[in-house]
Amino acid sequence: MSDVKRITATVSGRIRPACAIQAVAAIMATGPYIAIAELGIMLMRGGPLDAARTWWIVALGALALLLRLCCLLLASGLTHLADNDLQLHLRQSLAKHLSRVPLGWFDDTHSGHVKKVMQDDVLAIHYLVGHAYTDRISAIVTPAAALAYLGWIEWRLVPIILLPVILTMVIYWVQFRGIGQMMSRYNKALAGVNAAAVELVQGISVVKTFGLKNRSFQRFTNASNEFADGFWEMVRGQLSSKAAADLLLSPITSIVLVLVAGLTLAANQKVAVSDILPFIVLAPALSSPFLVLTHTQSEFVQANRAARRLLDVLDLPVLPQEKNQTPRLDEPRIQFEDVSFSYDERTEAIRNINLTLHPRTVTALVGASGAGKSTLAHLLPRFWDPTEGRITLNGVDLRHIDRDHLYRAIGFVFQETQLLHATVRENIVLGRTGASEQQIIQAAQQAQIHDRISALASGYNTMVGSEGVFSGGEAQRIALARTLLADTPVVVLDEATAFADPDCAAEVQTALSTLVEKRTVLVIAHRLHTVMEADQICVMSGGQIVETGRHEDLVARKGIYAELWAVLRASEQHPELVLE
Amino acid sequence: MISALVSVAGPSAGTALRKQVAALVIESVCLGFCYLLLYPLVNALFSDQPEDALIWLGWLGLMFTAYAILRFYTQLQGFRAAVDLIRVLFGRLGQQLTALPLGWFDATSSGRVGRLLSQGVMDVSSMPAHLLRPLVSALVTPLTVVLVMFVFDWRLASAALFTAPLAWWTYRWSSHLVKTTSRRTEASAVEAATRTVEFAQSQAVLRAFGHSEAVFGKLQKAFEAQWQSGRAQVFSTALGLSAFVLVIQLALTVVLFLGAYLALGGRIDAPQLIALLVLCVRYVEPLLGAAEVAGLVKVSQNSIQRMDELLCEPGLAEPVLPAEPQNWDLCFEHVRFGYGNTKVLEGVSFTARSRSTTAIVGPSGSGKTTILRLAARFWDPADGEVQVGGVDVRSIVTSDLLAQISIVFQDVYLFDGSIAENIRQGRPDATDAEVLQAARLARVNEIAARLPEGLDSDVGEGGSKLSGGERQRVSIARAILKDTPIVLLDEATSALDPINQLAIQEALTELTRDRTVVIVAHRLETIRNADEILFLENGVIAERGSHPELISLGGRYAEFWAKRERAANWRLLRDPQVTTNASRHLVSDNGR
Repeated sequence: MSDVKRITATVSGRIRPACAIQAVAAIMATGPYIAIAELGIMLMRGGPLDAARTWWIVALGALALLLRLCCLLLASGLTHLADNDLQLHLRQSLAKHLSRVPLGWFDDTHSGHVKKVMQDDVLAIHYLVGHAYTDRISAIVTPAAALAYLGWIEWRLVPIILLPVILTMVIYWVQFRGIGQMMSRYNKALAGVNAAAVELVQGISVVKTFGLKNRSFQRFTNASNEFADGFWEMVRGQLSSKAAADLLLSPITSIVLVLVAGLTLAANQKVAVSDILPFIVLAPALSSPFLVLTHTQSEFVQANRAARRLLDVLDLPVLPQEKNQTPRLDEPRIQFEDVSFSYDERTEAIRNINLTLHPRTVTALVGASGAGKSTLAHLLPRFWDPTEGRITLNGVDLRHIDRDHLYRAIGFVFQETQLLHATVRENIVLGRTGASEQQIIQAAQQAQIHDRISALASGYNTMVGSEGVFSGGEAQRIALARTLLADTPVVVLDEATAFADPDCAAEVQTALSTLVEKRTVLVIAHRLHTVMEADQICVMSGGQIVETGRHEDLVARKGIYAELWAVLRASEQHPELVLE
Repeated sequence: MISALVSVAGPSAGTALRKQVAALVIESVCLGFCYLLLYPLVNALFSDQPEDALIWLGWLGLMFTAYAILRFYTQLQGFRAAVDLIRVLFGRLGQQLTALPLGWFDATSSGRVGRLLSQGVMDVSSMPAHLLRPLVSALVTPLTVVLVMFVFDWRLASAALFTAPLAWWTYRWSSHLVKTTSRRTEASAVEAATRTVEFAQSQAVLRAFGHSEAVFGKLQKAFEAQWQSGRAQVFSTALGLSAFVLVIQLALTVVLFLGAYLALGGRIDAPQLIALLVLCVRYVEPLLGAAEVAGLVKVSQNSIQRMDELLCEPGLAEPVLPAEPQNWDLCFEHVRFGYGNTKVLEGVSFTARSRSTTAIVGPSGSGKTTILRLAARFWDPADGEVQVGGVDVRSIVTSDLLAQISIVFQDVYLFDGSIAENIRQGRPDATDAEVLQAARLARVNEIAARLPEGLDSDVGEGGSKLSGGERQRVSIARAILKDTPIVLLDEATSALDPINQLAIQEALTELTRDRTVVIVAHRLETIRNADEILFLENGVIAERGSHPELISLGGRYAEFWAKRERAANWRLLRDPQVTTNASRHLVSDNGR
C-alpha cells in the first residue's frame, strides 16, 4: 500500500462519494456553454425564433450552473470536513505514539521537527484530501463531456481540436522526460544556497570581524552563482518548447485552429457553417486538464513526502513493556548487570558496566566529556534501554516494571529544566497529583522558591511564561519542588544544575542538598570537589568504569582520578591573565 | 505590487522588469484584439455574405501571429529577467547582510534569512517567470475587450460590465470572511504548535511524573480547538466561495437572458448576437488564469515584502573623513544604550588601558555583554561615545576597527571545514607554520592529536563534531593568529571538565598577553587577577577598583564575591555522618 493510501485510509470512504458528486459538477460546467451554442445554432437557422424553446435553453443553462454550484459546494465540503477529521486523527495518533517511543529519541530530535511533523506535514496532506482527487476528476470529466457534445455535433472537427493537446503531450514527452532528475538537482542546489546563507548569517560576527574577503561570504557568493548558472542551464534548453506548449494550450489558439479548419471544410461543403460555433465556444475547455495536472503534480509530490515523514514517526518502535511488575520501593537497590549500550549499533557508548547503587547512598560518575557518564545515567529513567545486559530495581528488570510504578521510584534533575506553560501550582503538582496545598507549599519551601512565588501577585496561580517570567535558577527550583513533592526514593542528578545560574547558585544548592538526603542518588559530576564526599566515585573512560572507590582511596591509587584531581588543582591555582 | 518588485530588484534589474511589464501590456492588448476580431468574423460568417469572414479570418490570423510572436518573446524574456533577478537579489541581499550592524542578528535570524535567500529568492523570481503574464493579462485583456465592445453594442457590453463591481465587492467580502476565520485558524494553529513543542520538550518530565494528563490534556484540547476552527473555516470558505462563483455565474446568465430577450424581440441581428455571445464567454478567460495563480502571487508578495524590509534596514554609518586611533586604549564616555524600550546601560564611563585587563562583573542582566558588543560596534550607543585611542569608533572605518579587535564569545561558531581552515580565518595569508604555532599555543594540537586527520579533520556544521570547550579552544587559536591589540572576551559560565578548563586558561593567557583586554568574567580566579574590576549593576558601574580595594570597601562587590565564593565551594554532601555506615559495605561490594 502506498504511503498516501495508508495515511488517508480512514477517510477514503468519504472521498469516493465526493468524487462522484464532483463528476456531476464537472459535467454541469459545460451546461451554459452548450446553451449558448444551441442558442446560436437556432439563431442561425434563420426564420422566426421559437420563443418557448429559446427560454428552455436559457433556463436549462442557468439551471446547470445552479446545480454545478450545489455539487461543488457539497463535494468540497465533504472532502474538507474529511480532511479536517483526518488532521485531528493524525495528530492524536502521533501524540499517542510519541508518548511511547524511547525518551532518547527526543534528545536526538529537535522539538522543531516534532512540530513540523505534527503540524506542517499533517497540513501538507490537506491538499491531497481536500483538493487533489476532486480537481483531477474535474480536469478529466469536463473535457470529456465537452468532447462528447462536440463529437455529437460534428465528429470531423474533433481531430482538429485535439491537435494542440496531442502536440503538447508530444512536446512534454520529448522535453520533460528527465524532469524528475532535474528537479532533484535543482532542489539540491537550492538547499546548498540555503545552507550557505545560514552559515553566512550564523557566522556573521566572524565574517565581519575577519573582513569581507572571508570564506563564508565567498562560499555564499559561489553557491548562489552556481545555483543561478545551474538554474539557467536547466531551463534554457526547455524555454522554447515550454513557450510553444503554453501557446498551444492557450484558448485563442484552438479558436483560430477551429476557424481555419472549419472554414476550409465549410468551403468544401464538408461541414455546416453553423456547426463551427459550438467548437469556438467549447474547444478551449479541452486544454484545462493540462494546467490542473501540472499545478497539482508538485502538490502531490509534497504530500507524498509528508506522508512518508508521518509514517517514519508512526512506525518508530516503542519501548517494550512485557510485564507489569511492581517491586517494593523502600530500600531501593539498583544493579547494572553487564550493561552495554550503543546509539548507532556500531560503536558502544558504554561497555560492560557492573555497578550497584545501594539504598540511601550517593554514587558519583566522573570523567572527561564523552566518557559515557550521561549515557549511563540516562539508562536509569529508561531514556533508552540497554542493548545488552540489564538494569534491575530490587531484582526486577526495569523493562518489566509498570511504567507509572517505575517513575514513582526514580526521579531526575537535569540541567535544562522544562517548565510547562501552566500555573506554578500545576507545574509543581505534576510531581504528585492530589497533593494537598500544604504539601505543595512545603515542597516549594524546601526548594527555596516559596517566598518568590508568594511575592507574585497571583501567587501559585501565576501562569508560567505569560505572567511570571522566571530566571534559569528560579525555574530550576520550581522543577526541584516538583521532584521533592514526587518524593521518589531514587534520584538521578546532573551536578551542573547547581552552577547553571550563578546569580542564585546558593539557593539551588541548598535545595539540591535537601533532595539528596536519605535517597539513593546517582550523580553526573563535572567538578570533582562537589562530589568529594560521595559514597562511591566511579571514574569513567571510553564508556567503561575504570576506577571505583571513595575520594581518598582514589587519590591514593594514583590512577586517572588522581591525575584529574591534580589538573583541577592546577587550573584553580593557574596564574592566568597575569600580564607582566 | 509591481513597484514593490521593482524597488526590491534595484535600479538595473528594475528597468528590465518595467520593460517586461510594458511588453506584457502590448501582448495582452493583442490578445484582446484577437477576441474582438471574432465579432466581425462571426458576424460575417452568419450573415448574407459569409465570404467576408475569410477577410476577417486573415486579420485574425495576422493579429494572432503578432500575439504568438510577442508571447513567445515575453516568455523567453521573462525567464531571462527571472534568472537575472535571482543573481541581482543574491548579490543585494548578501551585501546588505554584511552591512547590517551585528546586533541585528539574533537566534532566529539564520533560519529566517536562510529561507529568504533561497526559497524566497525563487518565489520573487517567479514573478517575471510565471506570474506577471496572468496578472497583466487579467486586467488588460478584458478591459480592451469591454471598451471596444461598447462600440458594437452598448446593451450587452453594459450587461457584461455590470457584474464587475458586484464581483469585486463579493470578492472583497469573501476574502474578508476567509481572513476572519483564518485568523482564528492561525491562532489555534499557533497554540497547537506551541503545545506540540512543549509536548516534545517536556517528554522527560511528562513521563517521569507518570500521570501526564495535565499536559497531554492540554495538547488534546489544542488539537480539538484546531479541529473546530478548521470546521468553521470550511463553512465560511464555502459561503464566501459560493457567493463569488454565484456572481461570476450571474454574469453569464444575465448575458444569456439579455441575449435571448433581445433576439426574441428582434432588437438585434442574429449574427451580431451570436458574435457578442462568443465574445462575452471568452473575454473573462484571463480572469480565471489570474485566479489560478492567486496563491502563488500571495507567496511571492510576502517574500517581496520581507526582502524589502531587510533591504531597508539601515546599516552602520561609515565615516566620511576616517580618523586613525592614536593608541589602543578603549574608552566609554557616558554611554547609554537600550534594546527597544528596555534600557540596558545608563551612563557608563571607563577606560581600559593598553596592556591591562579590565574585568566586568555583576548579576546577570546588568549589561555586561552589551559593553563588549558596543566596543565591537555590534550597535552604536544611543548617547555618549565609545572611543578607541581617543577617537570615536563611529569615525573609524568599521573594517579597520574590527581588524584591531579579537572577539572570543561563549557561543563559538565554527564554519564547516577543517580545524586548520577555521584557525586560518584569523589571518588568511598566514603560513602553515604560523597556523600550527597558534594551534599549539591554544592547545588545539591536543584536540587534533586524537582525530584521524589531525588539524585537517572536519569540524562539522557549526563545529558540531567538537565539544563546547574544544570549539572555544579553536576560536582562541583563531584569535591568537589574528594577533590584535584589543581582545574582547566573554568567559564561559558552564562547567567544563578539568582538562579543557586548564587548556583554555593557558590559551587565554597566550591570547591576552600585552593587550587591551576587556573580559566579562565569571571565574573567581579571572576576576581576582584583573587590573581593574568594574562592578556593573542596573546599567551603571556601581563600584570599581582592584580586587583588594573592592573587598576592603566592603560594599556590593564584597557581598557578591562572598556569595560566589560560597557557591563555588559547595559540596553535594555536607554531613558525612549520614553515609558512613552505608559506605562501609560498599567497599566490599564494588571495590573488587
